[in-house]
Amino acid sequence: MGLKVLPPTLRKNNRYLTVDIKSESGITKDDLVTIVWDACVRFQGELNSGNFNLWVMKFYECDNNGEFYSYKAIIRCQRDYVDEVRSSLALANRFNGSRISITTIGLSGTIKSSDKFI
Amino acid sequence: MFFDLNIVGNSFENNIILAKEASKYGWDHINFSYSQNDFSNALNFKKELQEELCEDISIDYTLEIKSNNINEIRKSVSKFRNKALCISVVGGDLKVNRSSLENVKIDVLSRPYLKRYDSGLNHVLAKEALKNNVAVELCFNDILKSYLSYRSKIISNFKDVYTLYWKYDFPLILSSRAHSIFDIRTTHDFVAFFKQTGLSDGDIDKSFHTASEILEFNKNRENMIFKGVRRVDDGS
Repeated sequence: MGLKVLPPTLRKNNRYLTVDIKSESGITKDDLVTIVWDACVRFQGELNSGNFNLWVMKFYECDNNGEFYSYKAIIRCQRDYVDEVRSSLALANRFNGSRISITTIGLSGTIKSSDKFI
Repeated sequence: MFFDLNIVGNSFENNIILAKEASKYGWDHINFSYSQNDFSNALNFKKELQEELCEDISIDYTLEIKSNNINEIRKSVSKFRNKALCISVVGGDLKVNRSSLENVKIDVLSRPYLKRYDSGLNHVLAKEALKNNVAVELCFNDILKSYLSYRSKIISNFKDVYTLYWKYDFPLILSSRAHSIFDIRTTHDFVAFFKQTGLSDGDIDKSFHTASEILEFNKNRENMIFKGVRRVDDGS
């Protein structure tokens, strides 16, 4: 049996970042999880990254225009750490030797409302 | 308004791709930077570029002078002053940093910390920057392309520049120095990064304002008789 759901006052407040990803080589959702964690731990350190409550909620493959692969994803983080996560993701520039670019194109309070940025 | 005065200029086609990406990510104005050797060639397709992008984003050119010879810098500045809306000098060398900040014809000292173990600025240079209205430029790409201890050292140099900026209030501008679409980020990400390094929202807003002021000032530069006196068209 799972844990009982916390009362609203004890729950963490989340924000959902919609990110635009460009990559020279194809990536999977698992790769994105690695990239996100690596970027946060590198820029903010292990201690601060523990507060972020990071989770890759959704991962979408977009059109490949021939020059690079394009993806979009929804990443969860804790409400008070949005700027920290944004800046860490913006500083990710390489994965497995190929160039990658992640930038946040939308911020919302629910997954449903973040779908409008996809 | 979000201004980026340093996106590395390339061919006509590449510039269009970069400008459209920047426009998509919320930038209002970008300047393509060219070195003193490429600037004249780039001027040939400037009008065409502006017409092509007039609906998306406003663009212009920055002359980026890269030399360790002070006389060569002075000559290049005199040669291109009437052709370029923004002239920046790549810093790093202490003599170059000093001579650039003492020259009123130069608009921007770009990356005074380049290839150095310190920020490349001190209180004397900070006062000169304020006196001659020469902006100091910090580039996001220097952080993006470095990692681990090198990245930490550049952030540390940024913080040293901020300390002088808060005390002496010289013009400070922030730019991306993007080479390709992989280096362009949304304006919110750009602001969030500089907030993380220690700047406040007000400082960042002011830096964008400074960038727009540089362009505005240089549009009227030919009417400037000397400092503080400008020829005004009375309309008659």
